[in-house]
Amino acid sequence: MGPGEFARGALMRLSRVTGDRRHRRRLAELGFVPGAVLSVLNRGMHGGLVLALGDGRVAVDALTATTLVVEPAGE
Amino acid sequence: MNERPLTKTLLTKPCCEDDAPGNVNAGDPRVALVGNPNVGKSTLFNMLTGARQRIGNWPGKTVSVAQGTWRSPHGDITLIDLPGTYSLLPGSPDEALTRDLLVDRGMDGRPDLVVITVDAANLARNLYLLAQVMETGVPLVVALTMVDIAKSRGIRIDAGRLAELVGAPVVPVVPRRGEGVDELGRVIGEALAAPRRPAVPVLGADLEAALESVTAEVPGEAAARYPARWLSIALLAGEPVPGVPEETTAAARALGTALNTDDDLDDPELLIAEQRYAWVHEVIADVVTRNSAGHATWSDRVDRVLTSRWVGPPIFLGVMWAVFVLTTTVAEPLMTGLQGLFDGPVATGAGRLLDAMGAGDAIRGLVMNGLVSGVGQVLSFVPLMAIMFVLLSVLEDSGYLARAAFVVDRLMRLIGLPGRAFLPLIVGFGCNVPALAGTRILSDRRHRLLTGLLIPFVTCSARLTVYVLVATAFFGSAAGTVVFAMYVLSIALVIGMGLVLRGTLFRGMAEEPLVLDLPPYRLPAVRVIGAQTWLKLQAFLKTASGIIVATVTLVWLFSSIPFGGQGSFGRTPIEHSVFGAASHAVAPAFAPAGFGDWHASAALITGFVAKEAVVSTMAQTYSMGEPADGNEPGGLGAALRATIEQTSNGHPIPAVLAFLVFLLAYTPCMTTVAAQRAEIGGRLTLFGIGMQLTLAWLLAVAVFQIGSLFL
Repeated sequence: MGPGEFARGALMRLSRVTGDRRHRRRLAELGFVPGAVLSVLNRGMHGGLVLALGDGRVAVDALTATTLVVEPAGE
Repeated sequence: MNERPLTKTLLTKPCCEDDAPGNVNAGDPRVALVGNPNVGKSTLFNMLTGARQRIGNWPGKTVSVAQGTWRSPHGDITLIDLPGTYSLLPGSPDEALTRDLLVDRGMDGRPDLVVITVDAANLARNLYLLAQVMETGVPLVVALTMVDIAKSRGIRIDAGRLAELVGAPVVPVVPRRGEGVDELGRVIGEALAAPRRPAVPVLGADLEAALESVTAEVPGEAAARYPARWLSIALLAGEPVPGVPEETTAAARALGTALNTDDDLDDPELLIAEQRYAWVHEVIADVVTRNSAGHATWSDRVDRVLTSRWVGPPIFLGVMWAVFVLTTTVAEPLMTGLQGLFDGPVATGAGRLLDAMGAGDAIRGLVMNGLVSGVGQVLSFVPLMAIMFVLLSVLEDSGYLARAAFVVDRLMRLIGLPGRAFLPLIVGFGCNVPALAGTRILSDRRHRLLTGLLIPFVTCSARLTVYVLVATAFFGSAAGTVVFAMYVLSIALVIGMGLVLRGTLFRGMAEEPLVLDLPPYRLPAVRVIGAQTWLKLQAFLKTASGIIVATVTLVWLFSSIPFGGQGSFGRTPIEHSVFGAASHAVAPAFAPAGFGDWHASAALITGFVAKEAVVSTMAQTYSMGEPADGNEPGGLGAALRATIEQTSNGHPIPAVLAFLVFLLAYTPCMTTVAAQRAEIGGRLTLFGIGMQLTLAWLLAVAVFQIGSLFL
């Protein structure tokens, strides 16, 4: 599932990131590593998302959002 | 006799540099400030160095870096403020500097100490960079910033325990209030006196075993040149390192690849990142206590509005409009005032001084029309540049710029640029010069170059005055529509040339996916903004003044030297000066565009220096006064109409449209050229000038040739 399919505020756990090496590395450096817990804070135009990742806030475009494979995470 | 300065305006250039970081006060200890973007690093730098700072170009790179002298209780220390970075594996030229300083220059080129700023309110991501810096083994001190914000969110950090785990001192600071800064100074002094290696983050049993094998294989030479732990990790991640034999690299890479049992993790680099985060979370579990969890912060609540689908874009447009207004209408009276000061009291004073000294005409002309007029132009741009630099800092430091980039990202993707590029392009409608300085908000060098090449096609306010005069003379009440069409054409040129350049010179420019860290909103610190603006202004004056004074002087000189034996120096009609002769020589090139006349080419030549000079040059070449109001061109308009009627063989409308199109598309002014050179380098600037002239000529010819079939 992609994070765009989750309701605002719902917690999800990152399974993996798809895409090329550079993209995955960059996301990993920002904390997008398997097991990381995220939630959608806001939806922008054209499918862009503002995500909460721990204490950090990261904006991603629609394309990047589709490279994040997530599953629901319980409270 | 031509006493009036041919140019009346101009500009700037923003940056930088002659002193390479590290070349100053070579005997002082060198301390590098390292940290994520937006964590208070520059605030701390400004707090410590005050006004004793300068901007220098990094040796061999196009990135500029601030460095300063800190009068610490332990003596003078050279502080280097490195650009913010998330990682030592660089993703942009700015980020590459940290890696360059800590690793690539070898053990001897490293700073004596690194002060790493760690954001207490976003500890995980900051500890990730800290882990990488620890791996280089450089002595370090942790400045724990944003402790006030963390506290307001119920996050408490045990600094003492963190220091134990990191193996380096940890000092909580609130730089903008000066809290903790004295203590930081004391700790830095101690760390410099007795440097020690930090601890090493442990990356899990499998990785550690593999790292041990790699370390054993590294030849002595390479091992002496690089930090051992860093080198082993880099090799295991498959990164080629200069000086390491290929077979060692290949063996390490094979070892790294064999570590992956999961198909999704085919890259050892990702495994290493994952293990670093595992270490980070262990540290966090040990040092962080939370009183509240999961509440939306006020920053989040603001974001729900500013980044929302419906409200975000209008707010963004409002902010851009405010930037535009501030860089045009607010700056304008200040610019006019400064220019008036130079044209009036300063020129009068200089004239009297020259009279008293009994200076001849040539010296007088050189001082009055070259030096005084040129310096006046440069200084008149100072308010505009200052406003632009302040606005950039405010937008960036408040956290809004990151949101704006998110809101407008999709739109800018059309020409392959990230959302942030919108700001410099918008500012270009006021003046191209600060717009070029604004390209610095782009982290990717190729994005900066492409934006820098497109900005001159944004029609600036100086061009507007010429549009109004010419359009009113030829189109009367329809002039407004013509002027509006010039703005539409300008936007079309930016988009069109953006697409063309992306498909050619910038082919293969990676379309960066948007992944943007959103810092919490903050009130920008006045002191930091003041210091940054002052630094940038100094750099602008240093670089721009020479080229502008030289150009203004040359134009005066050429219009004073008689050509063909008529008159004497400074007393020849402009038509019979070297400048007039050059205008005559260039004029035939414009015949296919319908305005092959020396009056028009003379105006375009001075327009190369400054668009504001176009109207005054026309007035000079027709020996008429400059109209006080462009909406009432009077005799000048009539003279221009007569000329164009004649050169266009009875098709004045397409010819004057061609003239306007040429005026829009060719090089805006010398100051833009100076600013471009500073931002995108001399070669690309020359390419840009060639592109502008070629495009302007082709478009003008097309407009006239096609237009004269119908009009």
